[in-house]
Amino acid sequence: MLMPKRVKYRKQHRGRMTGKAKGGTTVAFGEYGLQALDASWITSRQIEAARIAMTRYMKRGGKVWIKIFPDKPYTAKPLEVRMGSGKGAPEGWVAVVKPGKIMFEIAGVSEEVAREALRLASHKLPIRTKFVKREEIGGEINEG
Amino acid sequence: MAVTLKAEKREDLKKSHTRLIRQQGLVPAVVYGKGKEPKTVAVNSIELLKTVRDEGRNAIISLSVDGDSVDVMLHDYQVEPLRDELIHADFYAVNMSQEIDVEVPIHLEGEAQGSKDGGVLQQPLYNLAVRAKPGNIPEEIVVDVANLQVGESITVSDLSANGDYEITEDEGTTIVSILTPDSGTEEEETDEEQTEPELVDAEKNKEEE
Repeated sequence: MLMPKRVKYRKQHRGRMTGKAKGGTTVAFGEYGLQALDASWITSRQIEAARIAMTRYMKRGGKVWIKIFPDKPYTAKPLEVRMGSGKGAPEGWVAVVKPGKIMFEIAGVSEEVAREALRLASHKLPIRTKFVKREEIGGEINEG
Repeated sequence: MAVTLKAEKREDLKKSHTRLIRQQGLVPAVVYGKGKEPKTVAVNSIELLKTVRDEGRNAIISLSVDGDSVDVMLHDYQVEPLRDELIHADFYAVNMSQEIDVEVPIHLEGEAQGSKDGGVLQQPLYNLAVRAKPGNIPEEIVVDVANLQVGESITVSDLSANGDYEITEDEGTTIVSILTPDSGTEEEETDEEQTEPELVDAEKNKEEE
């Protein structure tokens, strides 16, 4: 599963997720992409589950790009522990995703296969998503 | 022949007014060029989209602003990623006798033989950098991939030279290649238990202790 190799600090503040994605809002590498419509933390397990769902459906054809990386640690307290006594232990890694971000891209397969693969991947994620195509201005309008 | 697009001058540059313009179906835009004063204008969003769709991204547009006509190219544009709406456009007033650098989309023609044999077609380059006079810019560059086998690739140097334009892209850049299909071994990754990554200053801290 995806996680950083080295980090400077073990724990981070949770932060806020206001606004829209600043970058990574266009299909840059592949032909089709899956765009986030909500803001959320995407865990490394969810990214991995989505990747497996896509590659399994596409069998051996095509190429997948994962454009988000879980670089933020999240912590949790053990069960049945009273509040206080400091922050919990690191539990996993998440990527902070805001609306507009292209999370996955696909190339080398037909549109129908890409659509289905990304639909399957979207079911592994905790947010609403949209299927997008690499289109220049004036091309076909992207639709969900 | 350049297509005509009507534009109206935009004097009020406040955010509230720009928002109003967008609500009316117009796109705020700017016209600039070498030795020309920049002009703020507004064009009809649908008309602009239709023009670019029909004539291509690098088409010469005859922009009429209050009776004056300027030959322009759509130089840059901004799109709202969630709603796919055009929010701003940059028009570059071109000098028809001077060469300019533009990016021309690459269109792959035919189904590659390698794809039929199970290979995966990969296209790392979607736009080609080209230098040409505004009137000679091709709408798209067609690359025939029908005879491409598994393991083969087409680079920029393989493109046939055309007298009207000069390709400025690096010759070694790959446009399209057919990769051998994945063996499928990496798909099922072992779900190893997550270990914590090491800290950047871990060794230093140990030494200090």
